[in-house]
Amino acid sequence: MSSIAFQLLINGLIAGAIYALVASGFSLIYSTNKFIHFAHGAVIAFSAYVLYFLFSVLGINFGFSVVLAIAFASLLGYGIDIAVYRQLRKKKTSSVILLIASVGLLILLESLILILFGADVKTIGFIKVSKGIEFLGAIITPLQIFIIITSILLIVGLFLFMKKTKLGKAMRAVSDNKDVAEIVGISSEKIYSWSFIIGSAIAGIAAILIGLEQNLEPTMGTNLIIKGFAAAIIGGIGSVHGAVLGAFLLGIVENFGIWYLPSGYKDAIAFVLLFIFLLFRPQGILGIKRRAEK
Amino acid sequence: MIEAYFIHLAILVGIYLILALSLQLALGYTGLINLGHIAFFAIGAYTSALLTLNGVPFILAILLAGIVSAIFGFLLSIPTNKLKGDYLALATLAFTFVVYAVTLNWTSLTRGPLGLPGIPKPSILGLSFSSNLSFLILTIIIALAVYFIIKRIVYSPFGKVLEATRDNELATKVLGKNTFKIKFIALGTSAFFAGIAGSLYAHYITYIDPSSFTIMQLIPILCIVIIGGLASLKGTIIATIILILLPEPLRFIGFPSSIVGPMRQIIYALILLLILIYRPKGLFGMVELE
Repeated sequence: MSSIAFQLLINGLIAGAIYALVASGFSLIYSTNKFIHFAHGAVIAFSAYVLYFLFSVLGINFGFSVVLAIAFASLLGYGIDIAVYRQLRKKKTSSVILLIASVGLLILLESLILILFGADVKTIGFIKVSKGIEFLGAIITPLQIFIIITSILLIVGLFLFMKKTKLGKAMRAVSDNKDVAEIVGISSEKIYSWSFIIGSAIAGIAAILIGLEQNLEPTMGTNLIIKGFAAAIIGGIGSVHGAVLGAFLLGIVENFGIWYLPSGYKDAIAFVLLFIFLLFRPQGILGIKRRAEK
Repeated sequence: MIEAYFIHLAILVGIYLILALSLQLALGYTGLINLGHIAFFAIGAYTSALLTLNGVPFILAILLAGIVSAIFGFLLSIPTNKLKGDYLALATLAFTFVVYAVTLNWTSLTRGPLGLPGIPKPSILGLSFSSNLSFLILTIIIALAVYFIIKRIVYSPFGKVLEATRDNELATKVLGKNTFKIKFIALGTSAFFAGIAGSLYAHYITYIDPSSFTIMQLIPILCIVIIGGLASLKGTIIATIILILLPEPLRFIGFPSSIVGPMRQIIYALILLLILIYRPKGLFGMVELE
C-alpha cells in the first residue's frame, strides 16, 4: 500500500472514531426512543463550548472542567427529554413530529451558542500543537491516537453495559418491545430518560475530544450530527455496534473519496452514501428490516 | 424611509407565501414529509440568477427556474416514493445537504462561497421592476396566481386524491389510483412553485450564495406551514404574515445585528416547539401530521 493510501486510511480511522463517538450516543437514544434526535449534535457543540468557557475563559483546572462538561451534557440531554420530548410523548405524537421538534431544538441551541459565544471560531488550546508521529509513512498526532483509543474503549464499555448490567438489559428490552417490557415492570419513561442521560454523557465525551482536535464553531453540531446519523443509518439504526461500524466505514469512504473528488465534496459523499442506503437498504448493514416502508 | 421598510417586508411576505403554499401542497395535502423544500428554492434561485446573468430575459428565466426545480422534484420523487415518515424526512433532508454541497463546491458554475452578485432586477417586455414598489406589485401578482392555482388544485378531484393518498395510501391504491404517479406529480408541482419563489428571491436580493439555502432557512417555512395548520391555505397566509413580521420589533429594541439573526431563529424554534406540544394541528389545521 502506498503511503498516501495509508495516510488516507489513518485519516479515515480518525474521522471514523469521531463519528463513532457521535453515532453511538445518538444510536443509543434512537434504540429506545425510536425517533431521530437531531439535537444530539447541538448537545455536543454546547458541551464543547462549556468546556471552552470553563477551561479557557474561567481558567478552571482541566480535569475538573472535563467532568463538569460531561455532567452538563448529561443534564442538557435529560432536560431536553423532560421539557420537550416527554410532553410530546404524552400526546402520543408520531416520530415525525419528534423529528421536526428535534430539528427545532437543534436550531434553538445553535442560535443560543451564537448569542452566548459569538460567531467567531474558538480554540480550547489545552494541548500544544505537537509534531505528528510517523507511522509506516503516515503521520498521526498523539491526540489522534488518544481519540481512536478512547473511542474504542468507550464503545467496548457501552457494549458491555448494554449486555451485562440491569439497566442496559432493561434498555434493550424497551428497545425490542416497549409494551412487553412494561408488562414485566420496566418503566419505559424511566428508560427513555436514562438513555438520554447516558447517550448525552457520551456526547459530552465526544465534545471534549472533538473540542481538543478541532476548532469550535456554532454550527459544528449540525455537521457532526449529519455525519453521526448518516453513520448510524448506514450501520443499522438502533444498533449501537452497527452505528460504530457505519461510522468507521463513513470515515474511510469519505477520506478515500477525496482522492478522486475535490475535498469540498467530502460532506456530499456522506449524504450520497446515506441516500443510497436509505433507498436500497434502509435498515442499514446490520439492522433488521423493520418499518422503512410500512 | 418607513414606507420602503414596509414594502421590503411585504415583498418578503409574498416570497415566503409562495414558498409556504408550495410546501403546503406536498406536506399538508399530500402528506409528504418533505424537508428538502429549501433545496428547490435554491435550485430555482440559482437557475434564474445564472440564466439572467447570461442574458436570458427574466420571464423565461423564472419559468425555467420553476421547470428545473420541478425536474429535480420529479427526480427526487422516483427513488423516495416508497419511503414513509421519518425515512422520507431524512432522505429529503439529505437532498438539501447535497444541493448545498454542490452550490458550494461547483465553483466554475456557482462561484461557490463567493456567491452570485449583480443579479439583474426583473424586466418584462421592456417594463422594468427595478423599484421596490413595482417589485412588490410583481410579487403580489405572482403570489396571487400561485395561490389560485394551488387552491384550484386542492379543491379539484385531483386534490381529493392527494388528500386520500395522505390519509390512507393503501385504500387509495385499492380504489385504483396510481399513488406513485400522484406523489410524483405533487412533489414536482410543489418544487415548481418553490423554484418560482427562489427566482423572485434571487432577483429581489440581487445576490445569492449557498448560505442563503441551509437548514436554518427551512425552519421559518416549516413553522409557517405547521402553525398555519396542515391542509389550510387560509392558515398559511395568516401564519406567513405573523411569522415574517413577528421578529421585526427586535430590530427596534436596539440589539446589535449579530444578535438579531440568532434571536429570530430562537423565536421561530420556540414557536415551532410550543405549537408542536400544545396545538399540533396549528391555527386552522384540518389534519395532524403523522
